[in-house]
Amino acid sequence: MNDLDALLKARGVSENLDAYITACVFNRTGTLAAFALGDGTLRLKSVAGWQNVPAHQGAVLCLAPDTGDGFVTGGDDGRFLRISAAGTVTEISSFGMKWVEHVASFAHPKSGLLACSVGKFIHLFSADGTKLRSLTHPSTVSGIAFDTKGKRIAASHYNGASLWFTASSSETPRLLEWKGSHLGVAIHPAGEAIVTAMQENALHGWTLPEGKHMRMSGYPSKTESFGFTKSGKWLATAGADAVVLWPFFGGGPMGKSATELGVTAGTFAKRIACHPEFEVVAVGFDDGSVIVVDILKEKILPVCAPGRGAVTALSWNPTGSHLALGTEAGFAALVDFSKAG
Amino acid sequence: MSDTLIPVTVLTGYLGAGKTTLLNRILTENHGKKYAVIINEFGELGVDNDLVVDSDEEVFEMNNGCICCTVRGDLIRIVGGLMKRAQKFDGIIVETTGLANPAPVAQTFFVDEDVKAKTRLDAIVTVVDAKHFLTRLEDSPEAADQVAFADVVVLNKLDLVTPAELDAVKTRIRAINRYAEIHEATRGDVPITKLLGLAAFDLNRVLETVPDFLEEDSHTHNEHLTSISLSTTAPLSAEKFNAWISHILQTQGADILRTKGILSYAGEDRRFAFQAVHMIADGDFVAPWKPTEPRTSRIVFIGRDLNRPQLRRGFESCVA
Repeated sequence: MNDLDALLKARGVSENLDAYITACVFNRTGTLAAFALGDGTLRLKSVAGWQNVPAHQGAVLCLAPDTGDGFVTGGDDGRFLRISAAGTVTEISSFGMKWVEHVASFAHPKSGLLACSVGKFIHLFSADGTKLRSLTHPSTVSGIAFDTKGKRIAASHYNGASLWFTASSSETPRLLEWKGSHLGVAIHPAGEAIVTAMQENALHGWTLPEGKHMRMSGYPSKTESFGFTKSGKWLATAGADAVVLWPFFGGGPMGKSATELGVTAGTFAKRIACHPEFEVVAVGFDDGSVIVVDILKEKILPVCAPGRGAVTALSWNPTGSHLALGTEAGFAALVDFSKAG
Repeated sequence: MSDTLIPVTVLTGYLGAGKTTLLNRILTENHGKKYAVIINEFGELGVDNDLVVDSDEEVFEMNNGCICCTVRGDLIRIVGGLMKRAQKFDGIIVETTGLANPAPVAQTFFVDEDVKAKTRLDAIVTVVDAKHFLTRLEDSPEAADQVAFADVVVLNKLDLVTPAELDAVKTRIRAINRYAEIHEATRGDVPITKLLGLAAFDLNRVLETVPDFLEEDSHTHNEHLTSISLSTTAPLSAEKFNAWISHILQTQGADILRTKGILSYAGEDRRFAFQAVHMIADGDFVAPWKPTEPRTSRIVFIGRDLNRPQLRRGFESCVA
């Protein structure tokens, strides 16, 4: 009963990948988990086993599911790549010495989109890899996110965030201003708000469409990872010794206090992954431990014990039956939550 | 502790001073070490290295109460990215643009927790064009700021000046910053050991290269930017010093570029080392005083329009 690794042992598979795991995601069909590594490779895990796909020259900096059943990646070699489910690498675009720091995709039968950020630009592509347009920002883009309908894409940067209509040819975005360095962005699933993380250990938000400011502060470290739960009722955030949940209902988060769950003294939450169906969030800490938190029941389920390096990657599959996790020391695991237990 | 942190050298200097030539010289020297080099896109010469990161110098103001606390966000991002790479390296060299103020680069290494956890600022190296430095001082404040910030000045293009011109340039550099080491060079021919691995920002070495304090400050030129040193043999009160230096940096930190000190506190056998870049300060106890050495507290300010009598009175009022 005291074994924090019990779940990992009983329902998990793990592997030591020997390089910093920068990201992990599942493909949209849920048949493959991909781990992006600091050695430039992508490691694909299917029922059949592991496949090692050499992709970038330096580190794979970012990873997203492709619109189909493969993946897209960006690297510090300036390349934006598509990796098929079979492990075939195709270059979508190359940007020379500039790093491709963020990638995102929006799946749709007709109007699927791919995006990558390079310096001050977001480059937008159709699902087949045809360049559509470049969106220019006042400073380097630090995070990108499509809304749930693919109609808009948001970028965080110095002094705020920009919100662009993907189908418009307008050169000017809706600029949401707040002084300081913004380090990442998320859009509320119903489009009611946009939230950024900031250099000063705080989050900032704007209500949509009004643009009213929301300040969420009090963190002991930077929030590197955050996201809305499926319902949009909660914003789950890393950066504290617990998962900090801001209520986005009943007039919140302004004037409401945040809920803290899974307090683990002396550690900081590094990665957050909201469950695709339920009010459940997985949390990875800098000591390597991973927990799953049921927000409504306020229950904590330990998934993985500390000691394998800070958690740097965390992701659910599309149905929420499996959780993938990775650490800076190269420990990768998949845990199956679907079996009755 | 510092062994696990990757040393970062900041290479600054006015346009055309020979930064890139020096950088290429460092990189091609047969030292068997790997460096990550962060350059800006305005460089006219190519950089000869495996790992070169092209960056836009993106400065922003921290909302932390320090009015002059500016930080390079691009460096925070790039250092974070470099740490993910499987291929490791021995150091990072940051080349700034010719017009850059070195303060935001230096402050980045004091302010950002993630950067502090992985790297340490080793030294600020400023390349000076011996031929054109005096003209530069007249037309651009950045040229003086870069010298004021320096731990090491590479006085380059020696072949283009007469001994008299060289003396004039050295005198001006000394008037701005008496505490930087000056290395004379032609086409950047300075041994790498004089430039990298200096630990100039290490509190243990904070005043190691400072010359004898007995000499008076030079005021041969009417420089706005000067360096002054103060010393006392009377033991100081930690409480009084903290109150005084906090006040000085808060009120005059915009004009004080760098501060360094070694202090003898009453009833304490260890030296207290102190340093600051503008308003951002750092201090800790370091090695104890040797039994034979006089316990002289010394502090150095490099800055603009420093009021020596006022600073001296303030420093002396910190006596326990």
